[in-house]
Amino acid sequence: MVGGGPGGLWTANQYKSRNPEGDVLIVDKGPKDWGGLMSLSGGDFDAIMPGEKVDDWVKDLVYYWDGLCGQEMMESLISGIYDRFQDYLDMGCEYLKDDDGNYKGVPQRHLDHYKLYVTKEKGYGGERMTNVLVKRAQELGVRRRGRVLITDLIKKEDQVVGAVGFHSVEGILYVIHARAVVLACGMTGWKSSYMKNTTTGEWLDMALRAGANVTNFEFGRVWNTPKEFSWEGQTTLLPLGAKYVNRDGENFMERYSPVFGNNTDPHYLTLGMALEARAGRAPIYFDVSELDRSKIDVIKPKHGWQVLNYHKMQDLGVEFFEDKIEWNPQLMCCFGGMEVDLQHHTSVPGLYATGTCTSLDPGVYIGGFGLSTSAQGGYITGNTLTVDLKENLPKIEFSLEEARPYIEALTAKTEKNGSTPKTVLRKIQEIVFPYEVSIVKSEESLKAAQEKLEALRNELDEMKAADPHELLKLIEVRGIYKVTELHIRASRERTESRGGHFREDYPTYNDEEWLAWLMFREEDGKLISYKKPVPLEKYRFPVEKHYFDNFDFSPENRK
Amino acid sequence: MISSIDQKKCIGCGICVDRCPLDTLRLDESGKAYIAYPDDCMTCFLCERRCPQGAITVDPHKEVLPPAYVTE
Repeated sequence: MVGGGPGGLWTANQYKSRNPEGDVLIVDKGPKDWGGLMSLSGGDFDAIMPGEKVDDWVKDLVYYWDGLCGQEMMESLISGIYDRFQDYLDMGCEYLKDDDGNYKGVPQRHLDHYKLYVTKEKGYGGERMTNVLVKRAQELGVRRRGRVLITDLIKKEDQVVGAVGFHSVEGILYVIHARAVVLACGMTGWKSSYMKNTTTGEWLDMALRAGANVTNFEFGRVWNTPKEFSWEGQTTLLPLGAKYVNRDGENFMERYSPVFGNNTDPHYLTLGMALEARAGRAPIYFDVSELDRSKIDVIKPKHGWQVLNYHKMQDLGVEFFEDKIEWNPQLMCCFGGMEVDLQHHTSVPGLYATGTCTSLDPGVYIGGFGLSTSAQGGYITGNTLTVDLKENLPKIEFSLEEARPYIEALTAKTEKNGSTPKTVLRKIQEIVFPYEVSIVKSEESLKAAQEKLEALRNELDEMKAADPHELLKLIEVRGIYKVTELHIRASRERTESRGGHFREDYPTYNDEEWLAWLMFREEDGKLISYKKPVPLEKYRFPVEKHYFDNFDFSPENRK
Repeated sequence: MISSIDQKKCIGCGICVDRCPLDTLRLDESGKAYIAYPDDCMTCFLCERRCPQGAITVDPHKEVLPPAYVTE
């Protein structure tokens, strides 16, 4: 199991609970048992309650994702997330209830059915989830190692049979024999200093080398954050009267979307922010002057890092619930991920993927979505491994000599003497963070970015690493480069706008050409792209309406 | 980002070193925690929250990154 977040832990625990004699090892490049980004999350969870219809939730997503929805996959995941919600309750997690004693569901993004359930442990709900899953893993005898970065997948007879990596503190090389390898490494991203500095995408390089297919790399997660601080919980505040205003005090989202205003996905908000900036109406502020004051005691941070952050801001003279604070869009992660089937097989025998490194959502996000789908996805993956390891996967051994080329490829990276990884990372961020590349895209801006990125390739190849810690950072930056390469190229190729992808030169969706996933695979070291149409002929729900239609970002509306 | 570790308060328990997601902290030869890789901090506050001695201070200001757009 590569990655000890929710996807990895759920997979390991489910497999081990059904196969007590099985040997499961979780390796994570972070600390042992830290739980990945789950441990830093709020802990809210999406769950379909008894009496609700799975079909309704799937139809919500078909609409919200502008048709680019794997309907069978989402049905498979949504069908089981209530059971995982119950599992978390049984393990000791708590969620808010309303006055009638029912769990308090929060409708999401103006959707008719999809709901999020709010953790009672706001500020440390993700930590609690991590602790209960790790405790369960301990009870089941799942082996876990921290600070181990996996850098390559070992293949023999076209099957993944193991992995190579190293300990980033001790410098010890690892050669792992495994009948099956599961990538549960989270999303990819750009180290954007908002709790997302670990999802860098080095798994992408090795998955492509192993022959896996990936998709959805044109969709970036652009978040809006205070310019100088971090803040979690804007999606709770916006429905209560908080709003974004431009330099002139205008609530500009009411112009871009009279239907939704500010109460929508952050992707659309950041698009509005960027367009306002280009029109000369920045800075953009988070205006809390009309926030429902009766709710402030409920929504003020009370636990975990959020309350510490809040009090430190107050000490510096920043009163979040009184002041008008400048906020900016910030590219954080990429929604791209591995293609898997309903059982979480990749296209490579012996290689599986689960959690957010499988790509489900095209750039528009729902609170709690990652935690709930990772839980159910991991549960399914654990069941798949149970079957495959008994019936489907031949046991293929390999010698250390056969692993040597993978080891030499890794150690060769320590022999360079060029720029530091941090220097190269900064240059990549300078290429991809500007709004013309990450938010309001065009052929012209993307082509220029692609050329700048290509010019950086030599410096990338010559990065130096003084110690194992630096080597980890070097490999992360190589992964980030690959993510950026895919993000820009996929953004150029998708000549339309849909979900979290906006092309100024193709400002609306084109279902005839682009109701399709843009896929990539690597052949002879080169990225090959191809389209995979959404198979509406075998899906149960047509694409009757688009969430995108609730917005008007046309040039006329920007004036 | 992490700004300081009070060496007088640090008892060398290593909790911050073990828990840092980014491997930013290490123990020095005298067994005290120090900021080994300050550029890697992502301001998650885990070290400050977990330190039993209250020896660690994290500044809430984020790392300054290339902006999406420049404002005056």
